[in-house]
Amino acid sequence: MRDNPLIGLALVFIPFSLTSIGGGAAIIAGLQNETVNVHGWLTQAEFLHLFGVSRAAPGPGTMLATVIGWKVSGWLGALIASLALFLPSSLLCYAVFRLTNTHRDKEWHRAMREGLAPIGTGLIIAGVISLFRVAEGGVLALVIAALSCALLYWKPKMPVVAVLALGGTAAALAHYWPQLTGL
Amino acid sequence: MSVPESLRPADRPSLAALFLLCFKVGILSFGGGLSGWLYQEFVLRKELVSDEDFSTSLAISQMLPGANVVNLVICLGEQLRGPLGSIACFTGFLVGPFFAVIGLYKLFDLLAGYELLPVVFNGIAFAAIGLLLLTCIQGSRRAIRFPPAAIVIALTAFLVGVLEWPLIPVVFAIAPFSIALAWKRR
Repeated sequence: MRDNPLIGLALVFIPFSLTSIGGGAAIIAGLQNETVNVHGWLTQAEFLHLFGVSRAAPGPGTMLATVIGWKVSGWLGALIASLALFLPSSLLCYAVFRLTNTHRDKEWHRAMREGLAPIGTGLIIAGVISLFRVAEGGVLALVIAALSCALLYWKPKMPVVAVLALGGTAAALAHYWPQLTGL
Repeated sequence: MSVPESLRPADRPSLAALFLLCFKVGILSFGGGLSGWLYQEFVLRKELVSDEDFSTSLAISQMLPGANVVNLVICLGEQLRGPLGSIACFTGFLVGPFFAVIGLYKLFDLLAGYELLPVVFNGIAFAAIGLLLLTCIQGSRRAIRFPPAAIVIALTAFLVGVLEWPLIPVVFAIAPFSIALAWKRR
């Protein structure tokens, strides 16, 4: 039983699902220890490569689990690892939200909504700060982020995909700028 | 303050519409600005939920374990279409990235050594941060009408973002005060 990699994947990822408080970044160190040191499914270099891939891919950062599962045990491994990481926390979130939201006509629920809303906004600002810190993009990151924000502020109907594509194009232009200007 | 106009049954999106909306955001969302993009779609463009309901759902999503955006689409789905809505949002949101991350792993092997790829991905991520900035602006604007809420925003952002204190204890410490202030405000 313990040798079955599918069961092993589930046993590793389910506990991480319920401890990934604050999002996927909180469990990366733990995942590395389990998959590299404890189970020996991956080498250190493989783990780093998979982490890079999951950062570049669309979706939440925790898609790292999917690609680890795939690497360890193919498509079934990817499915098991994904479900093990996403389902337990999702069921918990659903239950908590449902329990509180059925009382949304009550006065305490109004106070809870209005009290939690500014905390939600504050946490997004905190997220922006830490994203800037992690991105290490310097001035370019600030300029592209400010421009995309301004663009959507004044042209709210502009497709989001177009704004993101412009960001990618701007980064590519800035990268090749020295060559383009003949330096 | 704002009565949730978002729950008028006639305006409820179909399950297929929710699935497709979340699929679109999931498969195209590079970088970190996912909740900013969900805000664009659910609040500003489709006007499915109110600004305040969105921020409340976000706070709950961030406090609980799990990927924040996955929790967020579950809350949004439940508000709009109940349990089936949550399932539609959850699967719609994750099915694209599931195949994309494996496809990208194979693609990276093919394109190894192609230097422009990470540069472009970074640019997309920076633009995605811009979406989040806009969400901050809208949320702060609502809070300015009630100064204590603006203080709560600034304090949360400072403690978690600048000082990098752990999120959970900070939220649990600030939430009672913030809720008490909202309670008194009536």
